[in-house]
Amino acid sequence: MPEGTLCNKQTVDTKEYLNALLADKSGKQYYSEMEKLDVDTDKLWKSIKSTLRSRLRTWLEICAHCGMCADACFLYLANDRDPTQVPSYKIQSTLGEIVKRKGKVNNEFMRMVMDTAWSKCTCCCRCGSFCPFGIDMGIMFGYLRGLCFSQGFVPWELKIGSGMHRVYKAQMDVTVEDWVDTCEWMAEEYEDDWPGLAIPVDKENADIMYTVNAREPKHYPEDIAEAAILFHMAGENWTVPSKGWEETSLAMFAGDWGACKMQVEEVYGAMHRLKPKRMVVTECGHAYRATVIEGPYWAGLKDGRPPVESIHYVEWVAEALRTGKIKIDPAKKIKEPVTYQDSCNYIRNAGLKNVAREIMSYIAEDFREMTPNREHNFCCGGGGGFNGMGRYREQRNVGLKVKLDQILDTGAKLVISPCHNCWDAIRDMEEVYHAGIRWSFLKPLLIKMAIPPDHLKVEE
Amino acid sequence: MFKDILFGTSASPAGDYAARVAFELAGRFDAHLRLVHVLGVPSRGFSYLAEDVRTGEQVVIDDDYKAWVEEEIKTYYAKQLEKCNDYSIHVCVGHPHREILREARNSNPDLIVLGGPTEENEGSAYKKIVAGSTIQLVSKSALCPVLLVSRPAASFWGGISSVVFGADFSKASDAAFKFAKKVAASIPGCELHIFHAMDIGPVHTGLSLSQEEIEDKIREARKKIRHKYVANLEGFEKYSMEVWEGLPYVEIVKFAREKQADLIVMAYSTKDVDAENARLGSNMEQVIMRSTCPVISVNRKMAKN
Ligand code: SF4
Ligand code: SF4
Ligand code: SF4
Repeated sequence: MPEGTLCNKQTVDTKEYLNALLADKSGKQYYSEMEKLDVDTDKLWKSIKSTLRSRLRTWLEICAHCGMCADACFLYLANDRDPTQVPSYKIQSTLGEIVKRKGKVNNEFMRMVMDTAWSKCTCCCRCGSFCPFGIDMGIMFGYLRGLCFSQGFVPWELKIGSGMHRVYKAQMDVTVEDWVDTCEWMAEEYEDDWPGLAIPVDKENADIMYTVNAREPKHYPEDIAEAAILFHMAGENWTVPSKGWEETSLAMFAGDWGACKMQVEEVYGAMHRLKPKRMVVTECGHAYRATVIEGPYWAGLKDGRPPVESIHYVEWVAEALRTGKIKIDPAKKIKEPVTYQDSCNYIRNAGLKNVAREIMSYIAEDFREMTPNREHNFCCGGGGGFNGMGRYREQRNVGLKVKLDQILDTGAKLVISPCHNCWDAIRDMEEVYHAGIRWSFLKPLLIKMAIPPDHLKVEE
Repeated sequence: MFKDILFGTSASPAGDYAARVAFELAGRFDAHLRLVHVLGVPSRGFSYLAEDVRTGEQVVIDDDYKAWVEEEIKTYYAKQLEKCNDYSIHVCVGHPHREILREARNSNPDLIVLGGPTEENEGSAYKKIVAGSTIQLVSKSALCPVLLVSRPAASFWGGISSVVFGADFSKASDAAFKFAKKVAASIPGCELHIFHAMDIGPVHTGLSLSQEEIEDKIREARKKIRHKYVANLEGFEKYSMEVWEGLPYVEIVKFAREKQADLIVMAYSTKDVDAENARLGSNMEQVIMRSTCPVISVNRKMAKN
C-alpha cells in the first residue's frame, strides 16, 4: 500500500512531521505523492457503515433532483450556472457514488472527491434552507471531508492546519509562552493610552473568559489590545487562559475529528480550571461554530452545550451597548453608508442576526443591508478553508464575485465583518477586483466611537 | 549617544536615503546596526504564503527563503557593510510595524531608523499607505526615538550644526525637547532652534481668528516656550525661539529651511493615530515627506524614561 512520507493516512502529531510538511513548498511533493496514495476501500466502507447517520443516508436517497438548491449556492451563481456546481449534483457525484459503490473507489476518484469537497463547497449551509426536504450540503460535505481526511486525501494547508492543532493546540505555531508574552506586551504598549489597562491571565472566577484566533497573537496582536481596551472601558472582570486560549479549528475545515476534539477539550479544560461565569469568543465565525456549536458533540458532552455559557463577541458588544457599559458618542457614529457581513457560522447557523442589527442601530447612521441578508446571506466566498488553500485559489477568486456584487449594490464602501474568514475574503476581494471597498472588525471602530469613562481619559 | 541602532530596511531604492543615514550613524557612534527586513506580509487567510514586499510575489517563506533574502540584503548593501564592523541582519514575516516593534522589544535599541513615504510615484498608492502607517504605528509605540528619512539628507550626523525642535507643549513634546537638547549639546557648535507653529485652522471655514487674537496666542506660546523649554536649557546657549502661525507642517518645513536645519525633532502626537486619516497623511508624515532633513519622532512613552 504506497503511502507517501508526507501524504498518507497518518495524522500529524509531531513537530518533525509538521516541519517536513511546511518545508514542502506549496505541497508539491505532497500532491505528487497523493497521486499514488492507495484507497483503503474496506476501511472506507466500514467507516461509512458505522458513521453515516440515518439522516444523511435518507438525504442522499430522497433528493428529488429538483434543482431548487441550485440558485441557493453562491458557487453555482458565480460560475455562470455551471450544472456541475448544483449542490445536489456535487454531493451525489461524490458521497452518493461512494455509498453506491460500497466504498470501492480508486485514487483518481478520491482526488476528484477531495477537489469537490474543498473547492466546490464552503459548508455555508445556505442550500439547506431552500431545499424542500431541508437537505443540507454543508453538513454532508462536512461529513465527506472527514472520510477524505481519514484516507489521506486532504489539501496540503489543511493537513498542516490540523497538525498545528495537534502539536501546538492552536492553528499556528504560537506556544503558551508566546501567547502569554504577547498579552503582556500589548498591555504595556497600550497602558499609556488607557490607564490601568491589563490583560489578566488565568484569573479564577472571572465574569468573562476571553478566547481568540491564533492569528491575533501571531500577526495582529492589536486585536487583543483592542479587546482589552473595550473590556476595560466596560469595567468587565475578565481573563484569558494561558492554556486553552485558541478558539478556532482548522481541524474542522480539514475533517480531522480527532484534532477537533483535542482542540476543543483544551478550551473546555480552561473553563473547568478557571471557572468563569461566561466565555466570550473573538470576532470569528467558524471558531464560534467549532467551540460552541459543534464542540460539545466532539467532546461527548451529553447536553450538547459547552461547560460554561459561551457567547460570540457580537453578543457581548450588543449587551455592552444596550446596558450602557460602553457609550457611543453620537457625534462619532459612522456617517457614511456602511454594510454588515452576516457570517454564516453565527448568523445562519446560530441565529445571531438580530444582535448584529442591534449593534448597527447604535453605531451607524446609514446602515445598508445587503440583499439577501441575515440567515439568507451568501457566503463571503472564503468559508470552510477556501481562503487559505493555494490549490483552489482561482476557484476562490471566482467565488468572491457574488459577495462583491452584493456589497457594491448597497452603495456602501465600508463593510463591517466580525469574522476573520469573511474579513480575509473581503480584503482579498479588494486586492483582486479593486472595487474601492474597506473592511473592518468591530473593535477598532467601537474604540473610536466610544466615550471613555472619565477615569480613563488621558491628557495629551 | 547611540549604541544600538535598528534600521527597518526594505532593501530597495525606496529606503536608500534612510540606509545612508543609518550606516553613517552606526559608523560615527560605533553602534551595533540591526538591519530588520520584514520580507513578507502574510496573506491568503491562514495559509503559509506571504507576499514578498520587494517582488510582490506570493511565496512560501521557510528558512531557505529567509537565508536567500538575507544574502540579497548583503549584496544590496555590500558597499556599506564592508565598512560596518558591527551589524546583524534579521529577516521576518508579518506586518512591518508589528515585526519592527517586536524586534525592538527584544533588542531594546536606542534609535530606530525608517524610510519615509516619498512623494515621487515610485511605488503604488498602496505602498505609500503601508509606509505611512508603518511610520505612524512604530512612532506611536516605540520606546526609543524614531528617525525618519524620506529625502536625501543634505548633511549627516556629525556634520550637524542646526537642530530644529518642533514644540507642541504635550507630554511627548517634553521628551522630544530633552532629546533635542541632548543631541545639540553632544555636538560642538550645534544650534538648537525651538519652534512652535500655531495652527490657525483652515482659513476658508469662516472661523478664522482675528489678527489680534492670533497675536495674543503667539505671545502666550512664547511665554510657554520660555517657561517649559528655555528655562530648562541648563546653560546651553546657542538657541533661538520662534512662533509662527499657519498650517503646522508647512511652517515647520519653512522654518527648518530658513535655519538650514540638519535635523527636526518632533513629538509624536496621538491625535494622528487614525487609520483612515493615515491615507491623507498626518502632520508628521507631511513634514517627513517635505523636509530636506531627517525627522526624529519622540512619543509620550519616552517621557517616562
Ligand atoms: S433542492 Fe433538495 S431535493 Fe432538490 S435537488 Fe437540491 S437537494 Fe435535492
Ligand atoms: S453548503 Fe453552501 S457552498 Fe455548499 S453547496 Fe450548499 S450553498 Fe453551496
Ligand atoms: S467565511 Fe464567513 S461567510 Fe463564508 S462560510 Fe464562513 S462564516 Fe460564512
